[in-house]
Amino acid sequence: MTLIPSYRSRPSALHAARAGVGAAFCGAFALVGALYRHPLVLAGALTGIVVAGMAAGVGREVARSLRLALPFALLVALVNAIVYQGGDTLLVRGGEFLGRRWDITLEAAAEGAMVGLRIVVLIAALGGLMSAAVDPDQLLKALRRVSYRSALTATLATRLVPVLARDAGRMGDAARCRPHPPGRLAVARAALAGSLDRAVDVAAALEVRGYALAGRPARGRRPWSRHDLRIAAAALAVAAIAVAGAVAGAGHVEAYPTLDLALGPTELAMAAAFVVLGAAPLTGRGARMGVRHG
Amino acid sequence: MAEPVVRADRFGYSYPERHGRSLEDVSFELEPGTFTVLAGLSGSGKSTLLRVLSGLVPHFHGGEAVGHLVVGGLDVRDHGPGELAAVCGTVFQEPESQVVMGGVRAELELPLEHRGESPAALARAVEETALALGVAHLLERRTDTLSGGELQRVALAAAMVHGPELLLLDEPTSQLDPVAGDELVWLLRRLNEDWGTAVVVAEHRLERCLPAADRVIALVEGRVACDAPPADYLRWAAGAMPALATPAARLFSLAGLPQRPATVKEARAALDGAALGEPRPPARQASRRNGRPGSAVALRGIWMEIEDGPAVLRGLDLSLDAGERVALMGRNGAGKSTLLRIAKGLADPTRGRVDRAGEVALLLQNPGDYLIHEHAVDDAGAAGVVAAGLAGREAANPRDLSGGERQRLALEVVLAGGPYAAVLLDEPTRGMDRAHKDRLAERIGELARAGAAVVVATHDTEFAASFADRVVLLGQGTVIGDGTPADVLGGGRHFSTEVARVTGGAALLPEQAAAMLARQEVSG
Repeated sequence: MTLIPSYRSRPSALHAARAGVGAAFCGAFALVGALYRHPLVLAGALTGIVVAGMAAGVGREVARSLRLALPFALLVALVNAIVYQGGDTLLVRGGEFLGRRWDITLEAAAEGAMVGLRIVVLIAALGGLMSAAVDPDQLLKALRRVSYRSALTATLATRLVPVLARDAGRMGDAARCRPHPPGRLAVARAALAGSLDRAVDVAAALEVRGYALAGRPARGRRPWSRHDLRIAAAALAVAAIAVAGAVAGAGHVEAYPTLDLALGPTELAMAAAFVVLGAAPLTGRGARMGVRHG
Repeated sequence: MAEPVVRADRFGYSYPERHGRSLEDVSFELEPGTFTVLAGLSGSGKSTLLRVLSGLVPHFHGGEAVGHLVVGGLDVRDHGPGELAAVCGTVFQEPESQVVMGGVRAELELPLEHRGESPAALARAVEETALALGVAHLLERRTDTLSGGELQRVALAAAMVHGPELLLLDEPTSQLDPVAGDELVWLLRRLNEDWGTAVVVAEHRLERCLPAADRVIALVEGRVACDAPPADYLRWAAGAMPALATPAARLFSLAGLPQRPATVKEARAALDGAALGEPRPPARQASRRNGRPGSAVALRGIWMEIEDGPAVLRGLDLSLDAGERVALMGRNGAGKSTLLRIAKGLADPTRGRVDRAGEVALLLQNPGDYLIHEHAVDDAGAAGVVAAGLAGREAANPRDLSGGERQRLALEVVLAGGPYAAVLLDEPTRGMDRAHKDRLAERIGELARAGAAVVVATHDTEFAASFADRVVLLGQGTVIGDGTPADVLGGGRHFSTEVARVTGGAALLPEQAAAMLARQEVSG
């Protein structure tokens, strides 16, 4: 089992929506992570992602991405707290080592935690929710109209990475079966050579599917479904709130020299809005998948 | 008369940086709507000829071509695979490497997108092809969740979605279990009959394909040695190249009978009246002699449960004695590979106990995984190269060896540290011709005589009958049949040899049946 989830078709509004809309929905939450470091705003976005994931039936996949993100976030928080010496509120006096002081301040720890939280939001939105609920083939198909070969290469990469990981795992097992197991480097080199062989095979398969003649794919006209409309509206709302808030200076944070955190009705409203907008298009009567048979 | 879909005129080809021609002086014509089987030993040029027909040779692989070969009016020396893709669809051996997209629907859409089809035409072609090839239920699945048989069907659908007049398949069943392999051949026959698609299929297990074939082209060292209908081909093979004859045809040849039946039904009809003995009922006994002390490997109460999945093994008991040659059989997913991995210690059972009398060697399914160096001698040592029958090729890159040669070299790699209490081989005959299988059976005999219990997981009933003195059949996570090859393979419906089906289970191999017929003649 890998921590980065892979897409599986599921009966949810997010899965039923066109890939571009699904990606925009996830991307809007990622935008919040990119624009803000206010913990309340980020917590609202993260809750929105988790709620959306649960409503789309990919709660476990989002949880897995959180398990992947947390060590990164903790590492960033820890490094910032130890390395950065700014801030007036001393928490731990670390003494001198290697010719410098190693004190930990409240402000440096808080700044590290906020950067870590941004990483968590970004990974949960893109590596969790989007990976599990947006069909990469459909998404890349749309991109193939822009740059055919680049998008097809990306498609192949998403298809081949798990295949090559399985190949490498198999080679590792074969190495364990040898009376004198070879070094990791030799196995890694052989796995790389094997991946090149597989790449040649895939290239041959593409050739006989007419790749050499490929041009820009024709544009498909697919009517917008109710799920497309609801999710697109939510994505637009999340992005609009995030951008408008940033322009208006909402979610202001000043870490140094003393921690200054804006905590007013604007931040509370933004956080609440992200939670509601994460859930709204994927729950309730409008998100039902269709009529029951019989 | 219709224009031939393929016309080859003294065509020859040599790969870059290789001495000698892989194809030499090849001439033949294929009429539209014919079903042609390409026969030949490993390295005879079957795959190369298919790659020529698809345009990969010489455009993708390079090399030098002489003569003419025209496919659908396009000369392969002037037109590459992209242009030839309009005329022919191609399916290769390895399912994993020819499915390029993440989803099945996208995989079927890709060739049509390349051709610039409109979305409406694309949607219709995908729906119709999926329905016709029985993959409609897979359309919304991810390709990494499909079994080998399903992947191969999807690859076939992707090759056929644009309606080519020629379909090329390179050993499409070699990676599949017998059920999936038979289903695929049945599907090819239906495509050929219903759609009028000309089919060219290279295959080692001819008994699987000959009933569907109109014609067989046999290649020997890159040249066309025989080009004839199946019955005439079998007559030629019986005399000139017995390794290329089907088991039933070999039976008739060894018995001195004039017929060369291409199907079990024809063989039964030809033997009408020659009662070879009482038909055997299917074996019903299980767990013949398990739990005996002093075994080479003893597995007791083995359970293997997969997270989020069913139990693969359910309280399995199995003892393997020193010097035994055991064929481990069962459908895909029956737990054969899991059992071998547990016996080796590569995987831990959820519950149960494994006792080993000594070291255990395991050769996994893909021999290439064991060959990680640039030279054969660096992988197997000088003695191993000789034992693999590759003396003089110590410096060869293992990637340049044939499939059978790599298999033998990989076996010597895992045997280097001997002696072993048990040697376990996981499907070692996939894609092997009969000559290589015979050599492998000899090596298995040597290992058993040296005192090792040799266990071979295989779908190949003919191979099992030829080397094993015990057959263990797995099903529902446990042993459902355990006995001599005659007991288990003689009366089975699916797990039986072609000769057993012809003779009602009285004999398993052509040599046995021919001897019985000879005895009958003497006593009669």
